[in-house]
Amino acid sequence: MTTPARLEVKDLRKSYGSVVVLKGVDLAVEAGQVLAFLGANGAGKSTLLNCVSGAQDADTGDILVQNASLRGLNPRQVQDQGVAIIYQHFQVFEGLSVAENIFLGHEIRRGGRVDRRAQNRQARALLERLGVDDIDPRSDLGSLGVGERKVVEIARALRLKPKFLILDEPTASLSDKEAKALHEVIRQAVARDGIGVIYVTHFLDEIHKIADQVTILRDGRILWTRPVAEVSIADMTDAISPDALMTGLDKTPFQADGPEVVWMDDLTTGFVGPISVALHPGEVLGIYGLMGAGRTELLECLSGAAAQSGGTLKIDGTTRKFRSPREAQEQGVALVASDRKEQSLFASFSAVENLLVPHMGRSPMPRMLRNFNRESLAFERAARRLNIQPPNPRLQGQRFSGGNAQKIMVSRWLIDGAGVKLLLLDEPTQGVDIGARHELYEALAEVKRKGTTIIVASSDATEICLLADKVMVLGRGQQVALIDNPHDEELLIELAHRAEHGAEHGTQQDVPVGETEMGAMQ
Amino acid sequence: MTDTGLTRGTTGAPLDPKAEKDWFELAVAAALPMAIALLALFFYIKAPVFMTVNNWIAISVQVSALMTISIPFALLLMAGKIDLSVGSTLALCGVVAGLSFEPLGITGAVLLTLAVGTVVGMINGVFVSSLGMSPIIVTLGTLTLIRGLAQWLAPNPIFGFPEEFLVIGYERVLGLPILTWIMLAVIGLGVGVMALLPIGPQIVALGVNKRAAFLVGLRVKAIGIGLYAATGFFVAVAALMSISRINSAPAGTLGIGVELSVLTAVLLGGIPFTGGKGSVLRVVLGVWLLGMLSNGLILMNVPTELSLMTTGLVLIVAAALDVLRARRS
Repeated sequence: MTTPARLEVKDLRKSYGSVVVLKGVDLAVEAGQVLAFLGANGAGKSTLLNCVSGAQDADTGDILVQNASLRGLNPRQVQDQGVAIIYQHFQVFEGLSVAENIFLGHEIRRGGRVDRRAQNRQARALLERLGVDDIDPRSDLGSLGVGERKVVEIARALRLKPKFLILDEPTASLSDKEAKALHEVIRQAVARDGIGVIYVTHFLDEIHKIADQVTILRDGRILWTRPVAEVSIADMTDAISPDALMTGLDKTPFQADGPEVVWMDDLTTGFVGPISVALHPGEVLGIYGLMGAGRTELLECLSGAAAQSGGTLKIDGTTRKFRSPREAQEQGVALVASDRKEQSLFASFSAVENLLVPHMGRSPMPRMLRNFNRESLAFERAARRLNIQPPNPRLQGQRFSGGNAQKIMVSRWLIDGAGVKLLLLDEPTQGVDIGARHELYEALAEVKRKGTTIIVASSDATEICLLADKVMVLGRGQQVALIDNPHDEELLIELAHRAEHGAEHGTQQDVPVGETEMGAMQ
Repeated sequence: MTDTGLTRGTTGAPLDPKAEKDWFELAVAAALPMAIALLALFFYIKAPVFMTVNNWIAISVQVSALMTISIPFALLLMAGKIDLSVGSTLALCGVVAGLSFEPLGITGAVLLTLAVGTVVGMINGVFVSSLGMSPIIVTLGTLTLIRGLAQWLAPNPIFGFPEEFLVIGYERVLGLPILTWIMLAVIGLGVGVMALLPIGPQIVALGVNKRAAFLVGLRVKAIGIGLYAATGFFVAVAALMSISRINSAPAGTLGIGVELSVLTAVLLGGIPFTGGKGSVLRVVLGVWLLGMLSNGLILMNVPTELSLMTTGLVLIVAAALDVLRARRS
């Protein structure tokens, strides 16, 4: 125990063909410290992480752990050197128990067989060490929520007693409550085991809660590294993407005029409902709730992807019961699903095909023969409208940064003649950097001005308050509250949490109606 | 993907700034045409008769039925599905044709055969796409079931078909055998569908991301059933082509192992087993490579066993190349 262990990156450079991604990165984190690592999509964060983890080799430069180089090691060897990485996308396996996931590849054996009992016991100890006592190591991983899965991943990483832990957007798909729990877990790991953490995130409000130092990566270079106490969120926003102004959109209270276009009356689907709400053209409904509250299920029902089990849905005065997304789209209802990679992006398709796949063979695209000029024109327009970068129609979908890919996903339903009356968005800014986020918000504001009704579900209360004219809070599938002109994030968060617990010792009437802005209560 | 070239959905465009368009990528893309060229050269040196117009026409006739099945099969595989029952369906269609020439006449028999093939395909499609069963399991089942059905319908080999029908198997039109023309028509159709029609990208989309395809409103079930039906239809066409050439329809041996030849050809053509990308023209090259290989080895008097081993080796080498390419990206 002399000097604390250090993970150091020295003048790391990496290019792909002619594209230089890392232009000499210097970085250091000490044991027992949390370094927040920020950067816009495309700044080179993933490349840097891949170089550190051994998934890729850098061109020049060095990565040192206590003066031992990690260059040229494969991921397993890097692990053995005490550097663990947890990727944004879950690397846990349903069908295996929590303990089996934690010990995967490093099973505890006794007489050649896996000693499940020992594994369960040690898994429990590991989880408890992280301050988590409500995950049963024997339960199937499939029964866990996303937040708990992240905790399992951390437990798995810590089992190997690493000196450094790299977390790539660990809270990206977590609700606020789950994020808070995760922060606690990370703090435990740092405090008890003296681990050094590199924490990659897009959520700037997390930084002051979790980090000691902040580093900003911009265009493949480190812009600056500062103690967290000396920087404000505005400093960080400015540094990450100088063009993004977080002053917000000019939001005027929504003026309802004319008849409603979307009308739900006691709508139920699966465990969700009854839901009752009516929306005008150009109105934005935000759906807020914790993970598993039923946000996605409700949107899937409205978009025809899941069956409606009861109640009434009216679009433009006509009762509808959609049996497929296609049917819904024919009536002007379209969904931008959450989890781009799994549910909306065609990774190997070109940008223009990704944009137009839903419209192939039906209006507004030609029915019989493809018209390639029209297709590239449609992409050009979309690229200009949402500032899709790079505006290259032939580039594969998977090569776009998260934010730009999401712009393409949203653009699908904004192309001229798509005729969308109700646009459904599920976690529209997940894995999207601030600059792109703002461009998406602006695009939605324009859609709204044109009279399209929007329903946006999000686990980010700030986003909901920024976008929505009306918020529905869901808790355990129940409609807990309907609030007009929301601006109080804390209230939303509180309502959502109370709804989760309220169902345990009472009914939803337990939720207080303390605010003047509260609208109709379900 | 607006190009009609060889790389539909696989690599980006040449403009693509981030894609690694280096020599390796080019070499992999050129591997199949190069292999064909080198092989042709090799056979030419070993057996000069190989490089004659007549021999190439003979190859085209030999691969015509295989090609006719491989093209729709390729689309099916691009969509992430598979049909292992093509060989048995070929036998069933051959038997149905053979049995119905007498009662129905040639036109009637041909129409009935095409209908039977299409219906068999549709049944596969309904099990896979509507009921959501595994394509491998369903078509492995129908592979056995349909072979049994064919043998039950015709316990003894049927032979001696009407002369007017047999002309398909040997007659030439405009200098090329009818069978070659049919093959070219199927190729043209396949290329046209994938390059020009809106259904092209929709088919590939199914193989790339089925969930996303459903959510963006593609007719996932209809496309699946349609692809199986089309495969069945073209298997029936291939059955008619085959029996017109051999003038018999032995239920027990007709089309045996065709599913494996087709799969080999299509995989050689660069369509991954998991689907989601591929090019019709490359599949054409894959089929042609197989046809050339067997033709050339016969001309060189290489024993059949050795020829079989070569085919297997070629497939493994092709697959290895693909893995290497995937590793690099």
